[in-house]
Amino acid sequence: MENILEVKNLNKQYNDFALQDISFNIPKGMIMGFIGENGAGKTTTIKAILNIIKKYTGEIKIFGLDNRQNSAQINAEIGVVLDDSFFPEIMTPADIAKSMPKIYPTWDSALYQKYLQEFSLPQNKQIKTFSKGMRKKLEIVTAIAHHPKLLILDEPTSGLDPVARREVIDIFQNFIQNEECAILLSSHITTDLEHIADYITFINKGKIILSSSKDDLLNNYGIVKCTEKEFNQFAKTDYLKYVKNKYDYEVLVPNKKEFPKKYPIKVIDKITLDELMIIMIKGEK
Amino acid sequence: MIGFIIKDLAMIKSNFKLLGLLIIVYLFLGLSGEMDISFILPFMSVMIMISTFSYDSYNKWDAYAVTLPNGRKNSVKAKYLATFIIIILMTVITTLSAFLITYIKTKTLNYPDIILNMLGTAIGILVVEALMYPFIYKFGLEKARIGIFIVVFGIVIFGGFILNYVDIPDISLNFLENYWPIILIVIISLMLYLSYRISLRINLKKEY
Repeated sequence: MENILEVKNLNKQYNDFALQDISFNIPKGMIMGFIGENGAGKTTTIKAILNIIKKYTGEIKIFGLDNRQNSAQINAEIGVVLDDSFFPEIMTPADIAKSMPKIYPTWDSALYQKYLQEFSLPQNKQIKTFSKGMRKKLEIVTAIAHHPKLLILDEPTSGLDPVARREVIDIFQNFIQNEECAILLSSHITTDLEHIADYITFINKGKIILSSSKDDLLNNYGIVKCTEKEFNQFAKTDYLKYVKNKYDYEVLVPNKKEFPKKYPIKVIDKITLDELMIIMIKGEK
Repeated sequence: MIGFIIKDLAMIKSNFKLLGLLIIVYLFLGLSGEMDISFILPFMSVMIMISTFSYDSYNKWDAYAVTLPNGRKNSVKAKYLATFIIIILMTVITTLSAFLITYIKTKTLNYPDIILNMLGTAIGILVVEALMYPFIYKFGLEKARIGIFIVVFGIVIFGGFILNYVDIPDISLNFLENYWPIILIVIISLMLYLSYRISLRINLKKEY
């Protein structure tokens, strides 16, 4: 399968934080959910992909092109929602409608207007009068109105109520119907990713600790809840992490079908992405 | 790049009401003979452009601009061109207002004086902005103010030192008398171009 985005051995050093050997790919037609706690390195990775930060080592290819050598060509075909950067808030959606067609040759004014109406975003009100959810919707509409092939979205659903989140997710799902496109979606709201992501990449303290197909992850990983005595029987190679609670142990196992064959455990709970994140970050080995 | 200029001009339009008010005040004070505030409108162009940097910074526009096609380059180029457009606009409005005031008061028009006065103000403002912008791109608006202060202060001290302590030979510059407008325009153009190249270089390397 052809990759639309390839990140290989990305390293970036700050005084108090480092991205270490970040590698992952997004094939065409796929949505990659990028998860991790605050400060884990999601936004830094996205900034490197977008050339917002430049001094790093490693290789990033978008549409098969080096992202630093071909940024103009690449930028024309990507749509971006950043966590906290956008047009100045004294501008209006109508101002954006005048500016963007001169920036993107493929800007689709009719599509932009259609989504503005669909999301009830007023044309002539300054962005500063918008609620957080309205701003986010405007950022998303602006990101997709030039028919990009790759969407890079940093927390695009934060601040949205459940109804709006569903509307936005529907847009992303429509977008991905064209199998030439792909989405990199960083989010804290992992339930959204459970709905739409094909792959999950999990970053913690600047390192990728897991990158897998979502279905593999949710079908194979599980949580064993057991006593201390039962836990002490488990070989370290058979589980990934555990959390010791007041009365029991929660143990993350990577193969919930095989685990009961080795140990007398009857119930293994399905895992959610939230639980996975918590155990991977807080758990011990 | 036109899209980026439209964005800057769209930000400026929110100042139009204030500008309209200032033009009325200017005309009123000019006609009543109270005082000459002809510098105030061109000076406003500095304030207006600074406010666009301020809004850009508040909403972290520069990081977003990097993700747009040729964003690093075009956002800088657009800022300089928008500045130029605003200064010309303000200078034209002030010049026409000055003509109107002079004509109503004296029934005559003193073209050369008014035009020279306005041209001098516009050039002064262009120099200020050419000095300021690289600092703003390098250090951000807040820290740039300190940098600009240091540069202006440095120029004054250095100039004062040269004039007071260095024996400057008496060279006749009379032959330049007829060419000074051209020389001035060339110097200002070079200064602006140099300022643009420095700002561009800073922005091309900057991490947001």
